[in-house]
Amino acid sequence: MAANFWASSHCKKLLDADEVGHVLPADQERGLTPEDVKLIKIHLSTYIKLLAQNTKVRQRVVATAIAYFRRVYTRKSFSEFDPRLVAPTCLYLASKAEESTVQAKLLVFYMKKILSEEKGFRYEIKDVLEMEMRLLEALDFYLVIYHPYRPLIQLLQDAGLTDIIQTVWSIVNDSYRTDLILMYPPFMIALGCIYIACVIKDKETRGWFEELRVDMYVIKNIAMEILDFYENYRNIPEERINAAMAKLPQRS
Amino acid sequence: MGKSSGEGRYIKGTSLGEGTYGIVFKATDRQTGRTVAVKKIRLGKYKEGVNVTALREIKLLKELRDPNIIELIDVYPHKRNLHLVFEFMESDLEAVIRDRNIVLSAGDIKSYMQMTLKGLAHCHKKWVLHRDMKPNNLLIAADGQLKLADFGLARIFGSPDRRFTHQVFARWYRAPELLFGSKQYGAGVDVWAAACIFAELMLRRPFLQGSSDIDQLGKIFAAFGTPRESQWPDMTALPDYVEYQFCPAPPLRSLFPMATEDCLDLLSRMFAFDPNVRITSQQALEHRYFSSEPAPTKPYLLRRPPPRPEGPPKPSELISPGGPVVLSPMSKAVRLSAMPGGDVHSFGRVDREAGKEPGSAGPQGETPFTASRIPMSIDATQLIRPTLNSADRSHLKRKLDMDLLSNQD
Repeated sequence: MAANFWASSHCKKLLDADEVGHVLPADQERGLTPEDVKLIKIHLSTYIKLLAQNTKVRQRVVATAIAYFRRVYTRKSFSEFDPRLVAPTCLYLASKAEESTVQAKLLVFYMKKILSEEKGFRYEIKDVLEMEMRLLEALDFYLVIYHPYRPLIQLLQDAGLTDIIQTVWSIVNDSYRTDLILMYPPFMIALGCIYIACVIKDKETRGWFEELRVDMYVIKNIAMEILDFYENYRNIPEERINAAMAKLPQRS
Repeated sequence: MGKSSGEGRYIKGTSLGEGTYGIVFKATDRQTGRTVAVKKIRLGKYKEGVNVTALREIKLLKELRDPNIIELIDVYPHKRNLHLVFEFMESDLEAVIRDRNIVLSAGDIKSYMQMTLKGLAHCHKKWVLHRDMKPNNLLIAADGQLKLADFGLARIFGSPDRRFTHQVFARWYRAPELLFGSKQYGAGVDVWAAACIFAELMLRRPFLQGSSDIDQLGKIFAAFGTPRESQWPDMTALPDYVEYQFCPAPPLRSLFPMATEDCLDLLSRMFAFDPNVRITSQQALEHRYFSSEPAPTKPYLLRRPPPRPEGPPKPSELISPGGPVVLSPMSKAVRLSAMPGGDVHSFGRVDREAGKEPGSAGPQGETPFTASRIPMSIDATQLIRPTLNSADRSHLKRKLDMDLLSNQD
């Protein structure tokens, strides 16, 4: 699959660290800080996952949806594109692009069910469908996304580490709480996750990593980014999320 | 993509035709002065947003860029409709094959096959299966370049307006493993179809014209002999395998008396029964047929059918069958194409079809092909094909999901 990735639009569109996680001028005016932006993205990635669990779509769709979501906000502001609508619409679009369409009606039903108490989440089918078109434009119609899951399996087989697959798989899932998918080739993210799992499970893999001839500095960077999520953002106090969300334009 | 996009960039010209999911216009790109074909995708039932098949085509064509693949120049929404802008194509290979005024020399055939295989090799390199290879999906540009078109326009589980699909038409290009119900087919299915096109270029008529799936296999075995276990070991394990009476293979030379040795060698490798033995599109391009005499004709020197007068074509002329496209590893691709399904897809070439209007019918209007095509559009084919009920559908869908799940990357 790797040969395929290198020729893909996903590969050509990989971003540097300073191209993600920045705060766009429109959001700065509203007082959103880089920290707020990070919290909102994590919160809404969780929302996408929740919706996906309810609508019973595959993990791959969730991963693609979150990648779309994060890619949109490297160029569009939260003020202009309400993340509470963009998140479910990303799931809707990803379900089509990954060939397991979720009905808009069903999606909207769960949108209302999951976050009915929260203000600003009241959206209807027509809102989702309108946003779908805007989203396609914001993504410049590039829809193919590669994920670390497949290279992960190949790499673990090669390393003889198939016993830790469950652990690594969950770490890969959690990597979508960061912008890593926009910045690194999927197999590098897979390696970063394997690295963490090996440390947790106390596996000796230095020799195997050395033979791979990959830039260990990059792998460690990826691992650090994921560890930062585990340390600081795994259980975010609700007040902090609410404070960040309150800075978004309020819908009437 | 250009710097600007959207409605203002194009000067709308005449309508080229209307299909089930949109209208096609000829237009001029203000930025480049190029003639383009703009396909306006109608939003179906407003409740499900952007048409999935259109989305599939956009998704794939954004990843594919090659001189022998149709260029998706731009996509833009306007008044809630999505517009796809393609390069304008003058003709297609079907029109060339049917035009009795065009003599196809050995060099011409080589040129068309080289361009077809180049486009295909690019798809396969990017793990895209075309799955709807046939002469009228191979469009021809004003400079003579042949380009693969119609990516992913057919739906996975069949369209509700099935009476407009020419299931039979695609069948003639269907590889034996598909006819035996293979679920794990790969790029070989496109190579088989390319081989059928190769044969058609020499014969000037479709090579294996089966009237049902069973008959199609019969035609294949009559031409190449019933495969023995040694030729295709996995054959008997295929889901829809049925035993055929043994029939010996006539010499290939007897079917293509004018062909050179190199030509027959390549053709037989592309028509290998066992998909694991069948030559790949890339290997085919490296075959000595393409380096031996005569050299392939330069594309701009290839003769093309005369341009047709413009005007809306008959709806029946716009219809062609489809086969969905998957973006997944070839070895594990799931079987989708055997499902009835199709969609009207037409861009540049509908212009050509315009000539088939009554009154303006040129010599092509009278060709046996056009005549034979009309009865095929009636429901006879649908009667043969079982209709999928909702239980089957959800069963298939589950299986499909499971296959795809195990394919995750």
